[in-house]
Amino acid sequence: MNLQQAVKMAWKSIWGKKGRSALTILGIFIGIAAVMTIVSVMEGMKLKTMEQFEAMGSNRITVSIYSWMYDEDGNDISKDYFPNLYDYCNGLKEYVLGVTPTGWCNATVSYGTKSTANMQYQWDEMGNITGDVPPSLYYGSDQYAACNNLTIVKGRDLAPLDIEKYNQVCVMGAQAAKTFFGSADPVGKELMVNGNKFLVAGVYASRLKDESADQSRLDNFIVFPYTARRILGGEKPTEFLVKARSSEAMTEAISRLSGFLKGLVDQNTGGYNVYSESQWQEQSNEYLTMIGLVLGGIAAISLAVGGIGIMNIMLVTVTERTREIGIRRAIGAQRSSIVAQFLIEAAMLCGIGGIIGILFGTAGSVILSNLLMQMTIFPPVKVTVGAFALSVALGIIFGSYPAVKASKLQPVEALRAE
Amino acid sequence: MAKLITLRDVYKIYGEGLESEVRALDGVSLDIERGEFVAVVGQSGSGKSTMMNVLGCLDIPTRGEYLLDGTDVQELTDKELSLIRNKQIGFIFQQYNLIQSLTVLENVELPLIYQGINADDRYDMAMEALERVGLAGRVKHRPTEMSGGQQQRVAIARAIATKPPIIMADEPTGALDSRTGQEVLKFLQQLNREGSTVILITHDNGIAATARRIVRLQDGKIVEDREQEVDWL
Repeated sequence: MNLQQAVKMAWKSIWGKKGRSALTILGIFIGIAAVMTIVSVMEGMKLKTMEQFEAMGSNRITVSIYSWMYDEDGNDISKDYFPNLYDYCNGLKEYVLGVTPTGWCNATVSYGTKSTANMQYQWDEMGNITGDVPPSLYYGSDQYAACNNLTIVKGRDLAPLDIEKYNQVCVMGAQAAKTFFGSADPVGKELMVNGNKFLVAGVYASRLKDESADQSRLDNFIVFPYTARRILGGEKPTEFLVKARSSEAMTEAISRLSGFLKGLVDQNTGGYNVYSESQWQEQSNEYLTMIGLVLGGIAAISLAVGGIGIMNIMLVTVTERTREIGIRRAIGAQRSSIVAQFLIEAAMLCGIGGIIGILFGTAGSVILSNLLMQMTIFPPVKVTVGAFALSVALGIIFGSYPAVKASKLQPVEALRAE
Repeated sequence: MAKLITLRDVYKIYGEGLESEVRALDGVSLDIERGEFVAVVGQSGSGKSTMMNVLGCLDIPTRGEYLLDGTDVQELTDKELSLIRNKQIGFIFQQYNLIQSLTVLENVELPLIYQGINADDRYDMAMEALERVGLAGRVKHRPTEMSGGQQQRVAIARAIATKPPIIMADEPTGALDSRTGQEVLKFLQQLNREGSTVILITHDNGIAATARRIVRLQDGKIVEDREQEVDWL
């Protein structure tokens, strides 16, 4: 018996019992759709975080220094370690490109009628942002740009003197500049920050190439000299970013920084940590993989349940068709032909479920990626092919017991069945 | 040349050793030559159906020797037995045993499919068989849309489509009225005249009268084996 004949026979049997076939297929298609959606959304998330890490540049070292020194009134009297760190890093130019605090402040920024106090935005149905998103306000050193892969397109960057002299200046990210000034040149204009005038010294180039919603978020910021904290308030900086010259230099910089901080920070009243950002990246990838595994596991359970449904219905089919099996055996069907007949039927049921599942899974990942990440993710080809192969494999795995059972029927007894 | 069928001291015992032991075949010996028309006659429970299952390679005897065309059937694998049923034997059953989900043509083609014959030749062979039974005009019908007599003719077409040397008919007229039954028997006689070996299983002496040779079974034993004048239909 050739394959074409077997497929034709299987199709007849599936089509002959439409309702039952549809219900059986349902189990498989839900499972496959779930797996497809989860896998492709997780892939998309990984891609996105990688993109973000890449945009901010590599070879970044996170330094955190913390202490718990308070006076009798509960005021934080711990030392500001940044000047020491800054000087030390500037003495390490062989390995280090720059160092900056990574603190942020919570202030109202306004220019003319535009004010962060009344900015409103929403997402449209395509997942794009409409309206103005208030920019993030960061404190930085004159090396903020070097640490964050930024370059100046207009005006000038923050200078060491701005820090030293408490100059009321700032540099804007591309998106923040667009929000406040549109196409006009912001350089030389004055922003009102909590009622204080701050001169816009320069504008950074945007870091992501395509015009996605992320670009606006990644480039939507204003950097102030960290000494502006005296006017604008905010926590004393405890987190710092050190940019190494290369991945080899990073290892050396990390060990030297650790040595330096060990001598600098009083271990009785505080502590410090030095991490390479690739560790963060790895960790975030690990988290995503773990979440993916958990969700995938749940989807796999639903697939297994679908598979058991297939097995159940195939067992029913075999029982119902015992006499037919007897007839086929009597007129010369070999055991292998009977096995093939039922296996192909199960594989086809699952394959059909798989195809429907792939359609729904594709729709699911497009919808979910738009909702969660404001981007459109189509399942990768390997996932689509894999999902189809998986569904057919499920049919073969769960169909094999009923098929073998059918083939083991004795012709005489099968013929006697009603 | 070896006899077509040789049974030597064949036993088929169900539940052997138990108190409820049933000896469906109790030491049967029988030779059938090529081209014979043999009626196996017996009351219900005489073992004639078991005889047919054993002769048709649907069942294996508990003990004894069954040589089919010189081959010891007991030595054969399941696959080889399937091949014998497919190529050497055409079955006709009391209940027709057609597959209801397949059309008439597909039913007749089925044994040819299992032989691996290509679609064109298969169609030709199946149509030839259907023409012989006078049903070439109804090939797209389902068995359920036909009368009992027609269904049995489809079953006969299926049995002869592979041109097997042996035709085994188990109460082929049992579910038919006497006129259509006569037609079926007449067809079996014709097949026999054309050279097929026909083995007819029946409980009815009148039907057995269409055969040249009668083998009578009682309680699993052969109690009579004689040739007779044939009632040509």
